[in-house]
Amino acid sequence: MTTASEVLSSLQSAFPGAIKDPRVESDARLWATVDPKRIYDVCKYLTDKLNFDHYSGSAGVDWIANNEMEVVEIMASHGAHPVVAMLKVRTPRDNPSIKSLTGLYWNADWYEREIWEMFGINFENHSGLYPLLLSDELMGVWPWRKDFKGYPDLTTGQRAVALPTANGYTEFRIPPTPAEIEAGTVPKERPKYPSFREREEAEIKSDSEMIMHLGPQHAMVPGPFLLDILVEGERVRKGFLDVGYIHKGIEKIMENRTWLQGITYTDRMCYVASLSNNECYCGAVEKILGLEVPERAQYIRVIVEELSRIQSHLIGTGEFLTLIAGVGYAPWQYMIIDREHVISLIESVTGARLTHSFVRFGGVRNDLPDDFAEKCKITLPYIKSRINEFIELFAQDPIYDLRMKDVGVLPAETAKEVGIAGPALRASGVSYDMRVEDPILVYPDLDFKVITGTKGDCADRIDVRLREILESIYIIEQCLDRIPSGPIKPEAKVPKKVPAGEAYYRVEDPRGEMGMYVISDGGDKPYRVKVRGPFYATLQTLPPLLEGVYVADVVAIAGSMDGCPSEADR
Amino acid sequence: MLKKKMIKNFTWPLKVATHGVESTRLYPEVMMELPAAERGIHELDATTCIGCGSCARVCPNSCIEMVPYKYGNPLKNKKMQFPQIDYGRCMFCGLCVDECPVECLKMGKNVVMTGWEREDIVKGPGDIAARKHSAKEVAEFEAEAKRIAAEKAAAKKAAAKEGAAKKAPAKAAGEKAPKKAEGANDKSKNGGAS
Ligand code: SF4
Ligand code: SF4
Repeated sequence: MTTASEVLSSLQSAFPGAIKDPRVESDARLWATVDPKRIYDVCKYLTDKLNFDHYSGSAGVDWIANNEMEVVEIMASHGAHPVVAMLKVRTPRDNPSIKSLTGLYWNADWYEREIWEMFGINFENHSGLYPLLLSDELMGVWPWRKDFKGYPDLTTGQRAVALPTANGYTEFRIPPTPAEIEAGTVPKERPKYPSFREREEAEIKSDSEMIMHLGPQHAMVPGPFLLDILVEGERVRKGFLDVGYIHKGIEKIMENRTWLQGITYTDRMCYVASLSNNECYCGAVEKILGLEVPERAQYIRVIVEELSRIQSHLIGTGEFLTLIAGVGYAPWQYMIIDREHVISLIESVTGARLTHSFVRFGGVRNDLPDDFAEKCKITLPYIKSRINEFIELFAQDPIYDLRMKDVGVLPAETAKEVGIAGPALRASGVSYDMRVEDPILVYPDLDFKVITGTKGDCADRIDVRLREILESIYIIEQCLDRIPSGPIKPEAKVPKKVPAGEAYYRVEDPRGEMGMYVISDGGDKPYRVKVRGPFYATLQTLPPLLEGVYVADVVAIAGSMDGCPSEADR
Repeated sequence: MLKKKMIKNFTWPLKVATHGVESTRLYPEVMMELPAAERGIHELDATTCIGCGSCARVCPNSCIEMVPYKYGNPLKNKKMQFPQIDYGRCMFCGLCVDECPVECLKMGKNVVMTGWEREDIVKGPGDIAARKHSAKEVAEFEAEAKRIAAEKAAAKKAAAKEGAAKKAPAKAAGEKAPKKAEGANDKSKNGGAS
């Protein structure tokens, strides 16, 4: 098995002098600063020679004190080895620019666009640096830089323009007014680029083609995003995605909140998976703090997170089934009733139904109630029997078969290449689960299978989710048998200030690989929190997946991803 | 084969119907059963709150404001400042509860909150205070508060008359905040001392 130190020595011998300040945190984590000129080659070498075939994202960091910008490329492997390489590339703050990795990894596109629009770091050779999450009028203000003064910028009074409206209110606008342009006082040259509409319309090649809008408000997903498809007759020729409708800037908000307060914001990224988000953030902070979690707390965390996975899969599947209506309304009702039981179980522990804020640094908030195990003994077998019946029900339904089998097929190779995450990836037969790859808590002691599909079509994706529920139930049963008594919080008080350091922590969210990159500068607030969300990665893969399918299948394919745009936008 | 499947399709709803699954909640008539851990509207024990303001500082949404309130315990809470919570902003995260050093702030099972105006869901200490004493206890507390006030007054008078002639056997907290103590004299339903 490859370890981080082996990867490092291999890199050092292949690129002498290009790898600076390497740090082998553990067998599975490698940190290094790479010469900006060599980053493309280093990544290529990692992929070709060392099996790093999973580009997991990148994070921008503004080191304003050093007058530098940094991009951290997160490289991992789809199951060949557990090493995650965090490669940092520095660039001067005045004219930040680094090499784009889009030539190597298809899915680098969105990550780089996001860094560009948030930090103003240019990516050389990126073919489509268009705004992704931000609205057009925020372009050029680089909101995630540390010297960003807010929107509108009232401290200088230069960029924000107050315009009195007809009904007596004041509107603040960032774009230059005509008067400003005439007077030549426009503070900054704004980047020019075609808008989303212009970009998609440029693709219309003949009169027989047209663009169909699905969204931003569409029954397809429980949140707003715009999916435009270019159709020719019954076939989709191209898909376009516009996201950012509910961009909340959570990463930036967390920089302005204390470490503890940050937990409550992770809930709101994706309320269906809020426990995994809690876990991810707390785990990262625990890593920096070097906190040990008491064993009982670890078990409690596993139990509630698996319960949360069950309820997430139930609602994800149920909701999806309503989309392919005619098949789905009855199962949706069944699933939502079943989910209610699971939610009640979680609620009895955490005290909240969706936004739990339950995990704490080094522990959990509440202990399990006394009758929890008994309640589980009633609920879990019931859910199990129901899931088995659902599986059977879908297996025998001919309409379901017609709509789902061989629709939206994603072969394993493509799935890896486009960086799709979670059950959608596993449905293609790639066994990639963070609980195994990057084991946390007590997962290594537990016995469970990673559920995979064979074909990677819509039916497989649903099937994988349903069978994962059974696996989660099995995990919870083991936990309930083994859970020791003991403290649920660390003995010493968790300090308000976190020592300087950084950590990258991954958990298996119900939607796939979720990672958080947390940097502390020793203060009482995070210096930077980067969320690598699973649905962000999955959503990006939609357009290529939709190419060539029938219009009627678009909703089936997009819905089978179990989306949460709230988490993609953050 | 198909026949078998069809029979199964009919038995499925029957099975569900006989499973005894609670599928409809009779909500306004019957409130669902909430667990002990439920994080609902706060309950303040005004008799033990020390007015430290930790809850207000930790709240991520700054929805807690410390406001004056008469029916607390002046012996513990010298400034008589108690949390007032703006439920328009509160997200029921429970951080304030965790942070309270004397564990006087709790979150209860009451989750119903209605109002016509925004101000209706800004709940002052009087609205969220949960500790209630019986009439007898209240009388006792009043007497106690009166006694302390009287002792203090006596001590004050004595001190004014001659420097160190007489030492009032007053309680430790009787030295300061004499005026506030009188406030606790009012028909306090939450009690004065504890
Ligand atoms: S529950 Fe959370 S949001 Fe509400 S008052 Fe307490 S700390 Fe603030
Ligand atoms: S409720 Fe608790 S934390 Fe808040 S002021 Fe009172 S004693 Fe302090």
